Amino acid sequence: MTDARRLARALAALSLVLLAVGVTALFVGSAGLSPSAVARALAGRAEASSVEAIVTLSLRLPRVAAAVLAGAALAVAGVGFQALTRNPLAEPSVLGVSSGAAFGVVLAQILGFSSGIVAALGVAAFAFAGALLAATIVYLVATAPGGLAVQTLLLTGVIVGIFFSAAITVIISVVDFNRLTGVIHWLLGNLGPIPAASLALFAVLAGAGVWLILKSARELNLLALGEEASRQLGVDAERLKRRVFVAAALLTGTVVAFTGPIGFVGLIVPHVLRRLVGQDNRFLVPTAALAGGAFLLAADTLARNVVAPAELSVGVITAFCGAPFFVWILRTRSRPL
Amino acid sequence: MTPLVQFRDVAFAYARPERRRERTFAFPGLSFTVERGEVFGVIGPNSAGKTSLLRLLTRVLRPQRGEIRLDGRPVGDLAPWALAREVAVVPQEAPRPFPFTVEQLVLMGRYPHAPGRFFEDAADITAARAAMAATETLALAPLPLEQLSGGERQRALLARALAQEPRLLVLDEPTAHLDLRYQAETAALLRGLNRERGMTILLVSHDLNLAAELCDRLLLLSAGEVARVGAAVDVLEQGLLESVFGCHVTVDKSPSGRPVVQLAYERG
Amino acid sequence: MIRALAAVALLALASPAHALVLRDMLGREVTLAGPPTRIVSLVPSVTESAFALGGEARIVGVSDFCDWPPAARAKPRVGGMVNPSLETLVALKPDLVVGTDEGNREETFVQLQRLGIPVYIVHAHRISEMYELIARVGALTGRRDAVGPLVTGIQRRIDAVRAAVKARPAPRVLYVLWPDPLLVPGRDSHLTEMIELAGGRSITGGEPVSYVRFSIEAAVARAPEVIVLADHSTGASTAGRAAPEKWQALTSVPAIRAGRLYSVDLSVLHRYGPRVPEGLELLARMIHPEAFK
Repeated sequence: MTDARRLARALAALSLVLLAVGVTALFVGSAGLSPSAVARALAGRAEASSVEAIVTLSLRLPRVAAAVLAGAALAVAGVGFQALTRNPLAEPSVLGVSSGAAFGVVLAQILGFSSGIVAALGVAAFAFAGALLAATIVYLVATAPGGLAVQTLLLTGVIVGIFFSAAITVIISVVDFNRLTGVIHWLLGNLGPIPAASLALFAVLAGAGVWLILKSARELNLLALGEEASRQLGVDAERLKRRVFVAAALLTGTVVAFTGPIGFVGLIVPHVLRRLVGQDNRFLVPTAALAGGAFLLAADTLARNVVAPAELSVGVITAFCGAPFFVWILRTRSRPL
Repeated sequence: MTPLVQFRDVAFAYARPERRRERTFAFPGLSFTVERGEVFGVIGPNSAGKTSLLRLLTRVLRPQRGEIRLDGRPVGDLAPWALAREVAVVPQEAPRPFPFTVEQLVLMGRYPHAPGRFFEDAADITAARAAMAATETLALAPLPLEQLSGGERQRALLARALAQEPRLLVLDEPTAHLDLRYQAETAALLRGLNRERGMTILLVSHDLNLAAELCDRLLLLSAGEVARVGAAVDVLEQGLLESVFGCHVTVDKSPSGRPVVQLAYERG
Repeated sequence: MIRALAAVALLALASPAHALVLRDMLGREVTLAGPPTRIVSLVPSVTESAFALGGEARIVGVSDFCDWPPAARAKPRVGGMVNPSLETLVALKPDLVVGTDEGNREETFVQLQRLGIPVYIVHAHRISEMYELIARVGALTGRRDAVGPLVTGIQRRIDAVRAAVKARPAPRVLYVLWPDPLLVPGRDSHLTEMIELAGGRSITGGEPVSYVRFSIEAAVARAPEVIVLADHSTGASTAGRAAPEKWQALTSVPAIRAGRLYSVDLSVLHRYGPRVPEGLELLARMIHPEAFK
C-alpha cells in the first residue's frame, strides 16, 4: 500500500474518532439538556432564544471548536519542536513561548483590556507580543554564527520560560486579591466559549501554523540525518529550522492567547502516535492535528462534567494524564536521553 | 575531457577560533583535479584538512578565494538539491538517534530529485530498491537502522548515497569503524561500483593501505597544502610520509603490486 | 457579646500593672503590655470600622487596600494584604497588628510574632460576625462608646432593606465574581448571604465552597433573572471591568431578555465593615428596583 493511501486510512479513522468525541461533547453538559433538545438545536429547529439553542449553539459548539483547534495546534507544534530539536521530550510549553504569551495576557488583564471584541483581539495581541518576545529571545540566544543551534534552543527555552513564569508571579503578588483568583484560574487553562470572530481568527492562525509544519514534514525527516548531511542532500537547513520554529511559536502563542496555557498535549499526542503510525513526520503531522483535537476535546469534556456544575480547568486533566505519562516515556525509552 | 572535480587555488580558514582544530589551520591555496571514472583518495594526518576539503566540495563551507568546479561548472552556481543530484556523501557513521528503517533512510536519498514532492513516487521506490540491491541491503529494508551491525549500517548509508544516483560518490572514512571482514566487503563494493558503473569515487581515509589498494590516484594533504598527488607508488614514499606524518615508516610492496605502509615501532 | 467586652474591659482596668490578655476572634490569646495605642491594620474592614468609630488616631499603619474612607489613604502604608513589608511595618513601632484569616497569610503572622509584635486576628463570614468585628475594633481603639450607635445605625439600614424586599418573590440571581473562567460565590461566601438579605436567591448558593469555578451552561440552564457582574476596575483604569457585551448573546436567559444585567464596584460589597448597608442597598436596588422608587 502506498504511503499516501496509508495516510488517508489513518486520517479517516481519526476523523471518525474526532467526530464521535465531538458529538459526545455536544450532547453532554451540566445544563441537563435532553438529547432530543440538543438535536433540535443542532438542526436549527429550536427557537433562537431557547435554552437548548443558547447552550448548544452559543456555548457548547464554540467550546468544542476551540478545544479541537487548540488540541490540533498544540499537538502539531509538539511534533514540530520534537523533530526540530531531535528530542522527543521537547514540548511547546518547555520552549518559553507559552510562558511569554501567558505573561502578555496576564499583563493585559491587569492593565485593562477585558471588554468586547476589541478586547478579544487586544488580549490576543498581548499574547502574541509576549510569545514573540519570548521566541525572539530564545531564537537570538540560540543562534550561533553557524546558525540555529537546536540544543541551545532547548536550554534557552526552559530558562526563558522560567523567567516569564517568575514575571507572572510578580504580577500576581501585586494584584488585587479579588482579581487574583480569576487570573490564577486563567493560568490553568481556560477553554471557554469564544465569540465567532475570535474563533475565525483562531482557526486561520492555527491553520497557518499547521500548514507551515506540514509543508516542512519531509524535510524534518531528513533533519534526523544530521544538519550537515541534510544540507548535503539539498535541504536548506537554516530556513527549515526558522520556518518550523516560527510555526511552532505561532501555534503555541495562538493557543495561549485564546485559551490560556495548556500543557502536555504537545507531549502526549505525538508520542502515542509514534507508536501507532511510526516516526515519519509526514504521517505524524496530519494525524497529530486530528488526534490532538480529539484528545483535548475529550479532556475538556471530562473537565466540565466530572464535578458538574462546577468545572475543572482542562489543564488539570491534561497535567494529571501528562505527568505519569512522562514518567512512562522515560522508563520505556530504549536508550538513555 | 574536463575533469569531474576541479579545485583551483581554493583558500579557506575557519573564522572562529573555537571552531579551529589547530591554531593555524587554513587552506592557503589548494589546487587539484579528480578525473571522471577514477577512484581518488585523500590522505593525510588528522589536522591536514581532509574533512574540510569534503565540506568545501559539498558547499557546507564556502571558500574565501578560488574556485571549485563540478564538471566545469562552479559549485556555487548550483542549487543545493542540484548539487545533491551529482554528488552524494557517505558519512562516517549513522546519526544517533535515528528512528527510521533502512528503507526510509535510503528513500531520503531521493529528496534531491523532487524536493517539492510530499511522498516519494514509484520511480523513487525503484531507484531505492536498486540501490539496496547493489549494496545487498534489500533484506534489511524493513529493519530500524539502529538495530543493524556496524557493517550493515555502513552499507545502508552507501545505499542511500547510491539512491541519489550521483556522478560522484564521496566517502568520509568508509572503513573507520569496521572490522576486517566489512572492510574487505566495502572495498569490494566500491571497486565494483567503479568498474561496473563507472562511478567516480572520492574517498577520504586515514587508512593508507586501503587507499593504496583502492585508489587510482592519491592526494597527500599536509597542513592544508598538497604534499604530493599521483599514483600510490609515487605518493606513498617513505621519506615524504615520514616528514608529513612525523613518524618512522617502512614502505613495502603488497602482492597486488601496490605499496604497503607499515609503522616502524620503536623498540627500546 | 457586649457583656464579654465589658468583662474584658473590667479585667483590663482591674490590673493595670499586669499584661493585658485578650482573646481574638479565632479564640487565640493575645498578650499586650497595655491598651494598644499604635495599631497597624492589615484588614480593610477593620480600617473602615476604626474610622467610622472615630478611633483612627490609634491606627498608625494600613494595608494598600485600605482605601476607605479617603482619609485612610493618608495613613502610612505597609504593603499588600498578602505580602506586606515587614520592615516598613516594624519601623512604625506598632504594639498590635490586626489581621484576618482570609486575605492575610499565616506566614506573616508567624513572622510578626517572632519579632515580638502581637497579632490580633479577626474573622467575619456573616453579618452577625461583622457586628462582633466592629465591637472588637471599638474595644481595641478605645471607642467602645461609639460601637453601640454605629451598630444600631447599620442594623436599622439593613432592617429597612429587609423590610422593603420582604414578601416579594426572590428572583434568581447570578453573581459573577470573574467572567472568564466563570467564578461565582458558593454557600460559604458572604456574597450569598448578602444576596439573600437583598431579597434574591443566588443560583450558585448551594455549592459547598466559598468560591467555585462554574460552568456557564449550568448557569444558563438555571435561568437567572438578575445578573450582577463584579467590576474590578479601579478609578481610571478599565482593567477588570466586567464585559457585559459577552453576556448579551445568551438570549435564553431571562436576565438578558429583561435587560437586568448590572455592574457593581466590588470593593463596597466585599468587606464586612460599616459600608455593608451601602452594598446591600445597591444590591437590593438591582434585585428589587420596584421596592425602592
